[in-house]
Amino acid sequence: METDELIINLGPVHPSTHGVLRFKLRMDGEIIKDCRIVLGYLHRGTEKLGEMKTYLQFVPYTDRLDYISAMPNNYAYVKAVEELAGIEVPLRAEYIRVLAMELNRIVNHIVSIGSLLLDLGATTMIMWGFRERENALQLFEMLCGARMTFNYIKPGGVREDIPDGFIPKLNEFIDDMEKRIVDYEQLINDNEIFLMRMKKIGVISAEDAVNYGMTGPALRGSGVNYDIRKYEPYSIYPDIDFRVCVRSEGDSYARYMVRIDEMKESLHILRQVVDTMPKAEVVSSPKYGIAPMTGTASTVMTYFPRIFTPPQGEVYSRIEAPKGELGFYIVSDGTTKPYRVKIRSPSFCNLTAIPEMVKGLKIPDLIAAFGTIDVVLGDVDR
Amino acid sequence: MSGIIKGLIVTMKHVLHIGNRPTVTIQYPYERMKLSPRFRGLHAVDENACIGCGICEVNCPNGTITIVKYGTRWFPQFNIGMCMFCGLCVDVCPMNAIKMTGNYELADYTRESLIYTPERLLFSKEVKQ
Amino acid sequence: MNAYELIVNILTALGAYEPVLNIFKAHGAEYVLKVIIVFVEIVVLMAFVLVTVMFLTWMERKVVAMVQVRYGPMVTGPRGLLQPVMDGIKLMGKEDIIPEKADKWLFTLAPFIVFIPAILVFVPIPFGDYLIISDLRVGLLYIIAISAISPVAILLAGWASNNKYSLLGAMRAVAQDISYTIPLALAAIAVVLFTGSLSTVDIVNAQSGTWFGIIPKWFIFLQPLGFILFLIASIAEMGRIPFDFQESESELVAGFFIEYSGMKFAMFFLAEYAHLFAVSAIVVTLFLGGWNGPIPSFLPAFAVPLVSLVYFLIKTYAVIFFAMWLRDTVPRVRIDQLLNLGWKIMVPLALLNLLVTGFLVTILANGVI
Ligand code: SF4
Ligand code: SF4
Repeated sequence: METDELIINLGPVHPSTHGVLRFKLRMDGEIIKDCRIVLGYLHRGTEKLGEMKTYLQFVPYTDRLDYISAMPNNYAYVKAVEELAGIEVPLRAEYIRVLAMELNRIVNHIVSIGSLLLDLGATTMIMWGFRERENALQLFEMLCGARMTFNYIKPGGVREDIPDGFIPKLNEFIDDMEKRIVDYEQLINDNEIFLMRMKKIGVISAEDAVNYGMTGPALRGSGVNYDIRKYEPYSIYPDIDFRVCVRSEGDSYARYMVRIDEMKESLHILRQVVDTMPKAEVVSSPKYGIAPMTGTASTVMTYFPRIFTPPQGEVYSRIEAPKGELGFYIVSDGTTKPYRVKIRSPSFCNLTAIPEMVKGLKIPDLIAAFGTIDVVLGDVDR
Repeated sequence: MSGIIKGLIVTMKHVLHIGNRPTVTIQYPYERMKLSPRFRGLHAVDENACIGCGICEVNCPNGTITIVKYGTRWFPQFNIGMCMFCGLCVDVCPMNAIKMTGNYELADYTRESLIYTPERLLFSKEVKQ
Repeated sequence: MNAYELIVNILTALGAYEPVLNIFKAHGAEYVLKVIIVFVEIVVLMAFVLVTVMFLTWMERKVVAMVQVRYGPMVTGPRGLLQPVMDGIKLMGKEDIIPEKADKWLFTLAPFIVFIPAILVFVPIPFGDYLIISDLRVGLLYIIAISAISPVAILLAGWASNNKYSLLGAMRAVAQDISYTIPLALAAIAVVLFTGSLSTVDIVNAQSGTWFGIIPKWFIFLQPLGFILFLIASIAEMGRIPFDFQESESELVAGFFIEYSGMKFAMFFLAEYAHLFAVSAIVVTLFLGGWNGPIPSFLPAFAVPLVSLVYFLIKTYAVIFFAMWLRDTVPRVRIDQLLNLGWKIMVPLALLNLLVTGFLVTILANGVI
C-alpha cells in the first residue's frame, strides 16, 4: 500500500544525536525510505586553526576533536609531527603514551556502550559506566592535571612523568574494571529486549563497510580484520601481545560485542605495559621536550622549544583511535606553522555508512544503529 | 526471559550493595573530590620569579594573556574566559613563574570579573637565601 | 460493606451519628448528611492518591538512584522527601505555553481528560476491609472501561499539539493501549471464572484463607501464566520502560506531551504515576490476595481495616517496586516488536490460559475429580 511520504527532521537538537547532527528522513509511515545527513553544526574550523597556530600550540586543539578520547588525538597529531621532524622519543615516554591511550580506549568504549543503552531507553548502564569512567578520569587527572582535555602528549615525549601512587591506583582500576565488565555483560549481553533491538539491525556487509571507509570497531564488527596497531604497527605495539577483536555478523550487536571485547583486550594491554615499563629519568626527548626540572624554580631555567621548525615536507600518519583510523596529514613549508593540516577523522567516515545501514528500518533502529557507530560530533565536524 | 532475569539480579545486587558495589556519588557543594596536585585550574604567578618577558603571552594559543604594568613591574594578566587550561604558558615560562592552582570554581556574573589582573594572581614564594 | 458504612459505623460507635442525623432530620434533609459523608470519602481518597503519587515520584527517583549507585534527591527535606513538593511549586511557577498552531481547546482539555480517569479508577478498588468507596457489581469491567479513556485523551493531546513527534507518540500510545487491553482483559477474565463475580470485593474474598495452612489462596498460584500476562500487559498499558513508546525520548523527544509545560505537564506526570499506583493495586487485588493477610484475632474490630490496609499497601508497593526495578534493567522494545508481542504471543497465550482455566473450573464445579 502506498501512503504519503513524511519528511521528518531528526535533530540538530535531539536527545539521541549525540550532539548536533541532523538527519533528514523521508519516511513511509515508520519506515525510513531515505536518510540524508546534514553536517556542520559543530564546525569550528579546527583544520584552519592548525594552520594558524604553531606546531606546539595546536596540540591542545586536537583534544577538542573527539573529546571522549582525547589522548589518541594528541598522539595522532604528535606522531605526525614527530615523523615530519624526525624526533626520537624515549622508550619510557612511548610506554606512558600507550598506557594513556589504552586507558582512554576503555573510557571511550564505556561511554559508547553507555550512551547506546541510553538511546535504547536503559539508563542504568551509562551510570555504571560513568562510575568507572570517573576512576579513569581521576587517573588522567593525576597524570596530566586535566580530566578530558589533556594536552599531555607532546612532540618528543609526554608532558610529565607518571606521578607517585599512579601505578597502584591503575592496578586497582584494572582489577575493578575486570569485575565491572562482568556486571555490564550480565546486564546487557543476554537481555532479550536488547537482542531484539540489536540482532540483524543496521547490517552492513564487509564489502560495503570497506567501501564506505569505515574503520575501527564498526568495521571489525563486519568481519574485516583490520587494526592499524597490527597492520602498520607504531609505538610499542609490536612488542605487546594482544588480539584483534573481530565479529563477522556485521549487525549492531556485533559492533557492540567488539567494543566489550576490546575493553578486555585493553585491560590486558594495560597490564603488560605496567609490567614491562622501563625505568628512565627522561620522558621527553631532550631537544624538544621539557628538560627534567631540578632545583627550585628561580635557579633553573627550563628548556622548552619555543620556536620549533620542522623541515619542509609532508607527512600522513595514522593510528588506531578507539573510534577507528585517525589520520593527520601535515604539509610543512619550513616555518613555525604548518602549511596545511588535514584530519581524517574516524567518526566522519563511519557516519557516512548510516544511510546505507538504515534503509528500510524504523526510526528506533536508526537510533540504535547510530549508537553502535559511536560518533562524536566534535570529531565529525571538526 | 533468562537474560532479563540475569539483569534483574545484577541490578538488585547494586540496590543491596552486595559485593563491593557501593554508592559513589559525591554530594558536591557539601563534599569535594580530592584534586591531584597537577590539577590545572586557575593560574598563579610567582611575584618574585616573573620577569615580565612576555613569552607566555606569545605562546598562549588563545591570546588569553596580556602583559600589563602592575606597580613598578610588568606581569601577565589572564582573561580566564578565553583560557582553555592547556598549561602551555606554564611549560614555556623560562622562570617557572606560572603555576596552576586547584581553583576550578571560576564561574562569574560578568565578563569583566573573568579578567584576572596581576593583583588577583600574584603570590610570592619565600626565597631561601 | 464500603467506606460509607464504615464511617457511619465509626460515628455510631462514637455516639455521634444519631444526634447529627436527628439534626438533619429535623430539617427534613437527611440526604445532606449522606452527601457530606460521600464528600469526605472523596476528599480522603483524592488526598490519599495525590500524596501517594507524590511519594511515588520520589520513590521512583530513589529506586533509580539505588540501582545506579547514586543517592537521588537529598537536599530538600530528609533524604529529599520534599522534592515532589518543590517540583510541584516549580511547575506551578512555569509559564503555561500554548503553541500558536495548536488547537487551544483540545490542548487544554487533554490533560484533564487524562487526569480524571486516573483518579476515578480508584473507586472500586478495595484498599482494605471496608475501605472501598463503592463495591460495584461490575467493578472489574468498570476499571477496564475507565482506563480505556486515557488513550482518547492522549490522542487528543498529540493531535492538538500540532507537532509531528507528538502525533507519532500519540498514535503509538493508542496502538499500544488498544492491543494490550485485550490480553489484559483476557487475563482478568480467567480470574473472574474462578470467582464468578466481577465485584472486586468478591474477588478479594475468594482469595482469603490458605491451602494446607501455609500457602495463601492467592490467584497467582492458580493463574501463574495469567499473572505474568497481566503484569506485562499492565506495564505496557502504563507506558513504562520497556514499553514507553508514547514518550520514548530518544526517538520522539517526549512523545505526546512534547509541547506541554507547567501545570498541564504536571497533570500528565501525576496521571502517569496515579496510573502506576492503580494498576499495581489492581494486580494485587486480582492475583496477590488483595488486603488478605494473617490478621491476629486479638485485634479490636476497628483495627482490622487498618491492618488490612497495611497488607494491601505492602503488596502494592512490592509490585510498584518491581515495575521500577524492571525499568532500570531493560531497554525499550521497538513499536512493531511490541505489537507483534502483543498480538502474536500475548493474545494467544491469554486465550489458551482462559481455555485451560475454563476446563479447570468446569471440572472442579462438576466434581469430576
Ligand atoms: S610568567 Fe614567565 S613567561 Fe610570563 S612574563 Fe612572567 S616570566 Fe615571562
Ligand atoms: S593555560 Fe593555555 S590557554 Fe590558558 S593562559 Fe595558559 S597557555 Fe593560554
